[in-house]
Formats: sequence, C-alpha cells, structure tokens
Amino acid sequence: MSLIFNHVSYEYDSNSSVKSYALKDINLTIEDGGFYGLIGHTGSGKSTLVQHMNGLLHPTSGEVYYDGADIADKDYDLRALRSKVGLVFQYPEHQLFEATVFEDVCFGPKNMGLSKNEAELRAFTALEQVGMPHDLFYSSPFDLSGGQKRRAAIAGVLAMKPKILVLDEPTAGLDPKGRDDILDQISRLHEEENMSIVLVSHSMEDVANYVDRILVMNRGELVYNDVPKAVFAHIHELEGMGLAAPQVTYIMNKLRDDGFNVGLGATTIDEACDNIMKALGR
Amino acid sequence: MSLINTTNLSFDYIKRDEDGNVEGIIRAVDDVNIEVKAGEFIAILGSNGSGKSTLAKHLNALLFPTEGSVWVDGKNTSDTSSVWDIRKSAGMIFQNPDNQIIGQVVEEDVGFGPENMGIPTEEIWQRVEESLKSVGMWEYRKSSPNRLSGGQKQRVSIAGVIAMHPKCIVMDEPTAMLDPNGRYEVIRAARALNEVENVTIILITHYMEEVIYADRVIVMDKGKVVMQGTPREVFSNINKLKELRLDVPQVTILAHELKKRGLMLPEGILTAEELSVALQKLAGLRE
Repeated sequence: MSLIFNHVSYEYDSNSSVKSYALKDINLTIEDGGFYGLIGHTGSGKSTLVQHMNGLLHPTSGEVYYDGADIADKDYDLRALRSKVGLVFQYPEHQLFEATVFEDVCFGPKNMGLSKNEAELRAFTALEQVGMPHDLFYSSPFDLSGGQKRRAAIAGVLAMKPKILVLDEPTAGLDPKGRDDILDQISRLHEEENMSIVLVSHSMEDVANYVDRILVMNRGELVYNDVPKAVFAHIHELEGMGLAAPQVTYIMNKLRDDGFNVGLGATTIDEACDNIMKALGR
Repeated sequence: MSLINTTNLSFDYIKRDEDGNVEGIIRAVDDVNIEVKAGEFIAILGSNGSGKSTLAKHLNALLFPTEGSVWVDGKNTSDTSSVWDIRKSAGMIFQNPDNQIIGQVVEEDVGFGPENMGIPTEEIWQRVEESLKSVGMWEYRKSSPNRLSGGQKQRVSIAGVIAMHPKCIVMDEPTAMLDPNGRYEVIRAARALNEVENVTIILITHYMEEVIYADRVIVMDKGKVVMQGTPREVFSNINKLKELRLDVPQVTILAHELKKRGLMLPEGILTAEELSVALQKLAGLRE
C-alpha cells in the first residue's frame, strides 16, 4: 500500500516563459508503517509535496502511485484515496465547525458514505485514540483548550481510518506539554495501528526524538532521505538551507571543540548523556 | 523608571447566550502585579490558556481591566483619551506575519504606521530607513512582502512597529510559525533592538531557548503570576516548570540528566558554554 513518487515535478505558471518549480524531480517511497519527518525552510516545497500525497495537486510531470495505481488517472477514485491518506493541515482547529466535538469527528466518515452507526463508532474510537476525555465529547469545539481542539481535529481525520497520516506542523503554537502529548499520541498510532506517519515540523528536536527517517526539502528538491543521525551529520549543509541540527548536536560539537573526546552523533538528550559519561570515563 | 505597571489586574471573559444573558465567566487574568522598567527584556512563559496573551493585550489597550489598573508610560489604559498615546508607546507583534502586513511593497508597509500618525513625509522615509536597517531588511525595501520568508515577514512587521518609535514592543509568540532560521532572525532582531536601541521588549514564547537572554522571566498559570526571576533562577526549577506544562532549554535538561547520573553540576545551566566550563572543572581540566 506504499505511496510512490516517480520523477514528480510541479511547476507554477506553466504557461509563462520563466519556469518556476515548486517541486523538482522528486523520487520517494513512503513505506508501510514508516515514520517520516519532513523538514525544510518556509517555501522549500514541503506543503506542495504534501498536497501531492492525497491528490490535492497533481504533478505537472511524473507520477504519484498509491497501491500501484496512478492517482492522476482520469477514473481514479480520489475520494477513496483521501480517506486512505489523511491530511491534517496547519492549525486544523480552524476547520472545526460542528456544534459538538463528536459531530465534528463524525463528519468525515459520514461523508465517506458510511452508515450513521458505523460513523459514530469510528468517531468514538478516533476520539479515544487521541486521548480526548469522554466528558468533552459533547462539548462545543470552541470551548476546548488549544491542545484539545487540535486533538479533535486530528480525530476527524483518524475517523476515516487512514493508512497514511500526514500532519503539517501539528504542534505549532502548543505549550511544551501539549506538544509532547500530541507527539506521543501520534507515535502510539504509529506503533499500535501500524499507521505510516509523515510529520512536517520546524522543530529539529521533535524530529530527532520521534521519526525513523527524515526527508529534507530545499528549493523544491528532496536533498536528503535518511535516518536522523545521517541527516543531522550534514549540519553545515542544513544551516545553509535555513535549517539546523537539534540543539544537543551543537552542545556536543562545543564540548568536542573544548577538548572533550565525545562522540558527535548524538541527536537526543539520552544519547548525549551516554556520550558525555563515556568521555568522562564514568 | 517603570514603563509598565499593573496593579491588581484582573480580567474576565464573559460568555453570553443568544439573548445576551450571562452564561459563564472565565477569569483569564487574576490579580496580576507586574512592573517593567524601561530598557528591560522580559519574557513571559505559560501554558496554553494561562492568560499570557490576555495580559499582553492589556499592555497596549486592546483589552481593559475588569478590576485593577494598567499604567503604560505614565498613562492609565482605562482612560479612553490616552488609548492612541498608549498604542504609540507600546507596539504589538502577533504570531502570524501574514495577518500583519498590508502594503504591496516592504517600505510602503513600514511607512504605514508613521503616515497614519501624521508624521511629515520626509521624516517617514527617514524612519522607514532606520527601522528596516535595525531589523536587517533594508535591502528588501522594494520587495513584495509575498516574496519573503516567514522570518523576513515577521521582521518587516517589527520594522513597522519600530517606525512608530514605541518605547516598548510586546511580541506574542512571534516565532511560533517560523522555521529555525526565521526564529533565529527574529530573536536576534529583538535582542538588537533591546541592546542597541534600548527598546523595552516583552516576549511571549513557548520556545524555552528564546528566553535565556531575557533580564527577567515571568511565568503565568491559571491567570496568575506563579514564578518570576532571572532565566537561571526560573530554569533551576525544572520539576515545577514541568508541572506547569512548560519545559527548560535542552542544555538545562542535559545538565539535569547528567546530574541524575551522578555528576556534580550546578542547577540552571543555560548555555553550552556554561556546561562545557562546568564539565571541564569536573574533569580537572580547569580550576
């Protein structure tokens, strides 16, 4: 059921004489059960890439295949695709609109043509999956806190039982605890439901802590597609693209410069601790 | 000299039903007393819903106290005749740069504020130049704001505020929507304004690393000020901050974890430099 990008390019204003590419020759496979972090500066093409994943945009050249079928085919069922590849936009809580949280989450499955019972069952499960307290199921979405609204919105996508869940900066504007809670929930979905996750993020720390592979976009091109350690080893190249390495990486570099014989590969606090203890011979 | 003063400030959000009857009252800010001196760099931390933004909106008269009072540059914000003076003294920057830019060209956008204040044309251009230079955006003066990155747009918004010559800028999560480079640019611009131009800065953020250079950190919870102190004092209370849904900078956590593993390190380490020095002492590499 993997999602394959084959030489995908996307041009803006394809009629004008000057070609400007939002995506340039992207080759990428989103594997079943993978956990991907997608990073890149503002305007690097992340959002354009994400919109190709469920057919909101189609390539100007190249193909996107889901489960072996080209999603740009004339008779391809895009509606079915959009329930398989669930997209959670930035600030998804702005899209909540029903009178209660529960009704809002039912909207997706009902729209898929499921019976009322089935839709409600799915809404219930989805709300439990995001850790929404039961007593808030029937509140107005507008009475929830920022973090809870965000969960409600994610539940709305989960209720369609996607195989691939794509989240565009799901923690922007949340406090540190809210951020960790949401990322832990997403991580659990990945482990328990074997859902593939694509996490778009501006936080190098979050990406280092959670994902298996990092995709780096720069000027419309996919420049890295590798495990976090390998990607963050390119610290200078990343900085040149307006990105960074996780802060612990900088700390370890500083210690190394100051004469400590610490390993430089650490991208998480735990690894950094291990490396420092080792360097001190403890 | 105190630039901003709140005295027993409380604010209630009142929820009404369709007929206008009061359905519920939420106390968003609860008996807050803070003082900000001219030239200070203050950071405000707090979980979502802790009242930070509500407090911030009182500082340039976007909201008015339900109880207590707010004084900005010697004027009471509840006095309707001083509202415009107060907004001139205390500028505000919000999360989303796209909502704050109106001009078609960068320099035009920055000139909008002073023009609206009735400043003579020649001086407007002077101010536009100064402000764009102070945030490092002068070379983009002829660009369309749509062509800029998030961090650049946010710096243009800041220039727009500076052009009105405020004494103080209140920034409400100015970096929440930016990439790492954009965050760095905006924080650097804020620090430069504070250090070079002596503009008072009040920065609200969820990024702990952004507050380590602040003179003072104010922590809010459930509408109240629950902690206040230098970054080092505040970040030494790692457990208390976690209870408040907050965090400490990565290097502070790292030092804390190393301490748990038996290394004798001081609490409240804030930079890689400090950690390195402490470790060097421990390893006998330094007195």
